[in-house]
This record gives sequence, structure tokens and C-alpha cells, in this order.
Amino acid sequence: MEQHPPGMTRKDFLKLSVAAGAGLAIGASGLGAILNLNGKPANKASAESNDDAIPLYGAHQPGIVTPPQTYLYLASFRVTSKSKADLAGMFKDWTRFCDLSMAGGTMRTGDNPLVPPSDTGETLDLPPSKLTVTFGFGPSFFLDEGKDRFGIARLAPKHLKDIPRMARDHLDPSISGGDICLQVCANDQQVAFHAIRNLIRLSTGIASLNWMQEGFASGKPGTTPRNLFGFKDGTANALHDSPDGYDRVVWADEGEPDWLRGGSYLAYRKIRMKLESWDRTSLADQEDTFGRHKVSGAAYGAKGEFDPVDLSSQPVNAHVHLAKQTKQQMHRRAYSYTDKVDPRTGNVDAGLLFISYQRNPDEQFIRMLRLMQSKDALNEYVDHVASAMFACPTGLREGTYIGQNILEG
Amino acid sequence: MKKTFLNVLALAGVMALAACGNDANEADSGNGATTAASATASAQASASAQASSSASAAPGAIQDGSAKLLEETRKLQDAIDKQDAEDVKALGKSINDIWLSYENAVRQSFPLEYTDVEKYEMPIFSASAYDKIDYAALKANAASLIDAVTALQNAKPSAANASELLAKAVEKYQSYVSEQMDLLAAQTQSFVDAVKAGNADQAKLDYAQARIYYERIEPIAESFGDLDPKIDARLADVDDPNAWTGFHRIEKALWADNSLAGQDKYADQLMTDVKELQKQAQGYELEPKAMVAGAMELLNEAATSKITGEEELYSHIDLVDLAANVEGSKTVYLAIIPALNESHDDLAVKLDEAFQSMEQSLAGFVKDGQYISYTELTTDQIRQISDQLSVLSNLMSQTAAIL
Repeated sequence: MEQHPPGMTRKDFLKLSVAAGAGLAIGASGLGAILNLNGKPANKASAESNDDAIPLYGAHQPGIVTPPQTYLYLASFRVTSKSKADLAGMFKDWTRFCDLSMAGGTMRTGDNPLVPPSDTGETLDLPPSKLTVTFGFGPSFFLDEGKDRFGIARLAPKHLKDIPRMARDHLDPSISGGDICLQVCANDQQVAFHAIRNLIRLSTGIASLNWMQEGFASGKPGTTPRNLFGFKDGTANALHDSPDGYDRVVWADEGEPDWLRGGSYLAYRKIRMKLESWDRTSLADQEDTFGRHKVSGAAYGAKGEFDPVDLSSQPVNAHVHLAKQTKQQMHRRAYSYTDKVDPRTGNVDAGLLFISYQRNPDEQFIRMLRLMQSKDALNEYVDHVASAMFACPTGLREGTYIGQNILEG
Repeated sequence: MKKTFLNVLALAGVMALAACGNDANEADSGNGATTAASATASAQASASAQASSSASAAPGAIQDGSAKLLEETRKLQDAIDKQDAEDVKALGKSINDIWLSYENAVRQSFPLEYTDVEKYEMPIFSASAYDKIDYAALKANAASLIDAVTALQNAKPSAANASELLAKAVEKYQSYVSEQMDLLAAQTQSFVDAVKAGNADQAKLDYAQARIYYERIEPIAESFGDLDPKIDARLADVDDPNAWTGFHRIEKALWADNSLAGQDKYADQLMTDVKELQKQAQGYELEPKAMVAGAMELLNEAATSKITGEEELYSHIDLVDLAANVEGSKTVYLAIIPALNESHDDLAVKLDEAFQSMEQSLAGFVKDGQYISYTELTTDQIRQISDQLSVLSNLMSQTAAIL
């Protein structure tokens, strides 16, 4: 075996040769033993020696209460295969890929020059960059237009449904919903894209990509990131930043199928922000719209960002006022996005990828959304253009694959 | 020095993973190697067990299946003679069911005979999906199918080694190429004649037909310098629009300009270039590598310029081209089955399934015996074809492992 100099992570990859023909033959059937083999050492090594890597395995999925990384890819898939075994095969492949890439490894890059390399190769010299992949399942995964494709409808979560119609919705169905969701985050965009790209490759023939959205979020470590309106976004996360708090706000439990207990519901809204009109709005109006001071992030009537909000000091339709009125908490994990230019107006299509995790979206999310979309002063500056809800399973144990407790549940 | 360990993981479609951590110890690495090696060994064992079981089960299954297939094909011949469309369609389906029930065993044991049965069986099944039946073509196919199945009944297992198998594959494919070249030359002549006679309706029919023969073997044409661009360039491909020649130049005249005025010189040039292509292809020594790469190229072509409707910008017969690309690619697959059987029989099974589902899906777009226009396809339909092409291309990209 080759020995590598110290200080290398991804560069340490070995070129291995598998006897010709074995690759296909191993397929899904030989997976059990291989997965165990892979899971242990890869993870132990990364957890002990590399603080740039986030473990795939644990009580909860990574990427939910993990401090937000800088880059996001959110992708939605439609399952096209009718075979449950093939679907399980894809989840096994995805699990193995995540196990490998979150620890900083890559797939093989070419033992046989006559066939395409297994790995696309753009992360060969890059560290894991806190890569996380979080999996979620949409309502249509369990029941697709009334059809129980995989005999799993009985395992559907209690609160999983498409987000109901709201006032002022401008939703584009081609970038909304889906059977399966992958949230890929990393501090290096190339690492994040490498992961989603190869996960898409591994889905060929089993699932078809519906839509993919990239996002970014930046803030000094320990501070709340700001959205493109320049306001802090996610201040209220501090209220539940403890294991107890996460149990109360994020992790689904009683009344849910086993596979979801310890998991969470992901609510997604793509919210286009009318940056051009916002930027022509006075500072006073901007602050009235949010009910917070722009620079400090403090609510009206308060001094610091994290001070309690006094509703009586707030304009009635201010964003923060409405949010607090519902007395509900959720875990925010938002990113910003930029897309194209509208050729008619020259305006940039940009905005917020609202992502929140909660244990009960009916109570914690939908009520608040309804209130916001009917009354929020921000509505003048935003359009909701895409929407989705996914149920994200509990954490993964080594030797198991994502979705196993649903497909074999 | 850091210690390393390794993981071997195989992903569906011959993907294998390798990773290293920093602090794993020697025991880990030894363990990993052993387990990986044993996984490989067991995978090979299971593959060979599968192969031997199908071989031992084969003779009975193949004789039974072939007897049924012959009986059903004779019924089909009767139905063709009576021009009974309903019976012909029903028999097309039942013939396909019988073939599917034992074709895997045939592919394993008698790959050469398999290819012939597949070649004549497929159009018979396809005809069952079409609304219009070409009885003359079907009659010829049915007769050839009887011969192919009879040959299968009398076949002896081949004992050729890997390089002999590949050489045979190339030989087989080369005869296909020269057959398609001849058809292309004849059809182009007919097209050119119609253009020069100013008969636009006939020219349009001939155009679609000629494109099929070209698109089936396009990578071969691309081996001969500037012949492919002269014959097949699109307006967007050329440096100087005034120097643009070939099929698409006349396509524009026929469908966009609605005038054949001034097209004689392009027609003559096209005929000259196609004849030159035919001549050069005759003396061309094809390498196995180029043949397999060509099959991949055909699918890539289909998945890029055909699926987007860019190839046939004026006539919109992109589905005709796409289906021809798939056919050309499948011919390579059929030719290399004996070589695939040697070490990649799983890949052959998967390719067979992928080609079948692609063909079935394409057959759904035939109306009045012809592929519908690209402009009639919905985005969802295009996406469905594109997804199927991806599956096919992924699998086909692995076939070079036999070389």
C-alpha cells in the first residue's frame, strides 16, 4: 500500500483495482458487509482527527442543527423506478457516497482508462469543508396521486403534506415539492456541488431531478447571518439553542412513525425579494417593516439583538410582531440566492431560501406562514415563488442506509 | 508517515469507492483489504454461479422456448397472409412475451444466434404498437425469424476466447456498417433526384429515410475528416454560412424557405460526398475500441442535439434521428454480447432492459407509421426520453471494460 506524507486528507485516496466484472456483480446484494467495513474506519478517522468533517452517523441527521455552512444546494427528486429494490439500491449508494465524501474521501477516479471515472474529481485536493447531506421525504414519496407505490403509505408522517395555499402565493410547481429532498451544505461551494452532482449521477434510472437551488449565507462566526435586505435572519434560534430546546422545537417524537422520531420536518419557501424597491426605501421604513433596528438587530424597544421583544413597541404589521404573536418557535436555517436578470426590467432575481426545521409544522410553521402572508408588512417587497415540505428521518446508525427504516419498516 | 486504510465499495454501475482517513491503523487497513477482496471473490462466485445455472438450465428452456416461438411465428405468417391486423398485433405481443421468457438463457449460451433472433423479433413486436402495418416488411421479418429460431435450435455452444469474440464482434458490426452505407447511398440518390426534379413532397419523404441510415452509423462518418461536416453540418456549426452544404442545407430549403430553387448544386455535392463516404468506409479497418466508443457517441448525440430538437431545426424529425442513434448503438451492443458474456453478463442484462424500455417508449411516439414531430412532444415526454437515454448511456459507458 502507498504511504502518503502527513497533512493530507483527500490526497490520501488510494487507487484500488477491483477484479474486472466485480463492480456490477457486487451491486446491492453484497452491500451489508461492505457498508459495515466502510462505515467504521472512515468515520472514526474523520471524527478523531479532522475537525473539518461532520459525522454522518448519530442520533440526528447532520445539517439540521449544525451551524449553517456557507453554501447550500437544495435538490428535489421524483422517483421514476417502480422497483422497491432498485430504490433501496439508490439509497444504499447515496449512503455510501455520503459516508465517504463527508469524511473527505472520493470515489475511484479511474483504474480503467477505457471507462469513465467513478468520481468526477473536482474535490480531489479539497478538505471535507464541513460537508453535510440531509435527506427528506415529501408527501408524494408515501402516496403519489393516491398510489402507494412502495407499500409505505402506512408509514407516512402525521403532519406531512404540501404547504396549503396561502394568500399572495406565486408558486411555480416546477420548482416546488418532490418525492425526495437533499440538502447539501459545505463551507466550500465546490465541495457542496461535487456532492450534489455525484448524488444526481448515482440516481440515474431510479430518480429524476426535479429542481435544484443553490444558496449562500455568510456571517462572522458566532453572529446571526444577514439576509439580502441587510437584516439579521434567525435571531430567534438562540431561544432554543440547547439539547432540551431542540427536543422542544426541532425533533419529532410522539405520535410519529419510528423512523421520524428524532427527525424533523423541513419547510421550504423560495421567497423572491424585490431588492430594487427595497433599496429605494428609507431606513426608517425598512426598520418599521421588520420591527427591528437594521445594524444592531435589536427589536424596537430593546437594546440588544437577543433581548426579549416587547410587542407594544412594534408596528402591528411588522415582521417580528407577527412572528412573536404566534408564540411559536422554529429552527431557522435560511440561505440567500441569486438567479437571473429579468430582461424586461433589468431587475435581479434574488432573495431568500427560507428553510425551517420543526417537530410539528401545523402548529409551528403553517399558522405563522398564514398570518405572515396575509398581514406582513414585508409582503410589499417579497413574492413566494416555490414551496415544499419534507420529513427528514432520524439519525443514521452505522451499517444502515438512509430510508431503510421506511422501506423495510 | 501517516497510516492509511482503504475502503472498497462498489456502486451499482461499476462504481467503486476509495477513501483514506488519517489515523486508521494497520489492522484496519489489513481488515479492509481482506473484506474487500472477499467481497470481490464472492461477487465473482455469485456471477459464475448465475452463469453456470443458466447454462445448465438452458438447453431445456431454449428448446421449449424456441418450439413455442416457431409455432407462434407460423401463426403470425398466416395472419400476415390474411392481412388480419388484429391478429398480427396480438401475435406480435405474444411472440415478444415468449422471447422475453427465455432470451436471457439464449444470450448466455448462444450469443451469436441471440443477436439474429433479436434483430428480427424486435420489429415484429414494434409493429404491434403501430397503428399502420407494413405487411410486406413484416412478412420478410417473420420468414427471417423462422430461420433465426431454427438456427438457434441447432446451435452448438461456442468455444471462442475473448479476443476472438471481439474480432467477431467487429466483423459483424462492419458488415452492418457497409449495409447501412449502401442503403444511405441509394436513399440519398433518391432524395437528390427528387430535389433536382423539384418534387418537394417526395424529397421530404426521402430526406427522413436517408437520415435514418446516416444517423445509425454517424461515428463512422466522423472518422473521415471533413466528410461529416460537409454532409451533416447545421447552420450553427459552420464558420461561413455561405460555405454550408449537406442534408441540413436542403432541409432548410424544403421546410423553412419552401423553395428548392438553387438547390441542385447542394444536391449534387451531397451525392458526391455520400459516395466518397461509402468508398472510404469500405477500406476502413475498425478497431474494437472505436466501435465501442462509437456506440457511446451515438447515445451522446441523441442525448444532446436530438433530445433538444437542435438537429432537425426545420423538419423537426429529431425523433427519427434519435431512434436511429439508439438503433446504431444497439447494433454495437448486440455485436459485443459474446464478449460481454465473458465477464460482464450483468451489464448485458441491464443493457437489454434499458434498450427494451427505450424502444417501447419510442414506439409510443409513432403515428401513422412515422415518428411524430419534435414540436408535438411535451416537456414531460422529452424528459422521459432523456432520462431513459441517461440510463442507457451510463450502462453503455461501462462496456469499454471488455476491451
